[in-house]
Amino acid sequence: MLNIFGKKNSRIQNPIKGTIIPVEEIPDEVFARKMMGDGFGIIPEDSMVYSPVDGTIIKVFKTKHVLLIKSVQGLDLIVHLGLETVELKGEGFEIFVKNKQVVKAGDLLAKVDFDFIVSKNKSPISAIIITNIELVKSMDISYGPQVEKSIVCICKP
Amino acid sequence: MKEIIIINPLGLHARPAALFCTKAKRFISDVTISKDGKAVNAKSVMMVMTIGVECGDQVQITANGPDAKEAEEKLVELLSTLED
Repeated sequence: MLNIFGKKNSRIQNPIKGTIIPVEEIPDEVFARKMMGDGFGIIPEDSMVYSPVDGTIIKVFKTKHVLLIKSVQGLDLIVHLGLETVELKGEGFEIFVKNKQVVKAGDLLAKVDFDFIVSKNKSPISAIIITNIELVKSMDISYGPQVEKSIVCICKP
Repeated sequence: MKEIIIINPLGLHARPAALFCTKAKRFISDVTISKDGKAVNAKSVMMVMTIGVECGDQVQITANGPDAKEAEEKLVELLSTLED
């Protein structure tokens, strides 16, 4: 596989103000058992979702609860907003980017009504997952409360 | 190549896509899933999610390699029994 990631570390910004938790603690086995890749969870405290990396929006799901981003360094990221939120069919989500759009880390991607999500008995816990984790040798994640746009994960190739 | 129509109401969103890819990775063969003529690596959850498979979509599973027949059969079986 082409590795444009090279020898440089990849920095991932916190997309949502909140508390960063280990991926194993996300109460959904798809994430907790790393079936999609590795990353971290966020217990959100705000509705704004910012791009964690410089990259390109590969896909915005019709249901608006998932964005796929390819970082300029070659990492494939899933931004999954809330758990089981596919069932809301887009309700509670406002998306500000479209497929193939180039974004910078910190650009506004979405606004999510997490209170609405909770009112529908869904978890607001969101996940940032790197799917091509084979490119990453180690991840240094800053757990605990974090403001938006702070660097929360350093991936070493 | 085997063809199947996706029947789970929410299609290949995150969880079903992850289950599908996890299964696909168990085979040595190269496996693709295609929809509307666009084929992607079935072992990449990102690629599978990119083609946006929805309920009612017809998809093709194509495997190439020593366990191709088994791969196609098992993956079609998995898709036919997927739950949201």
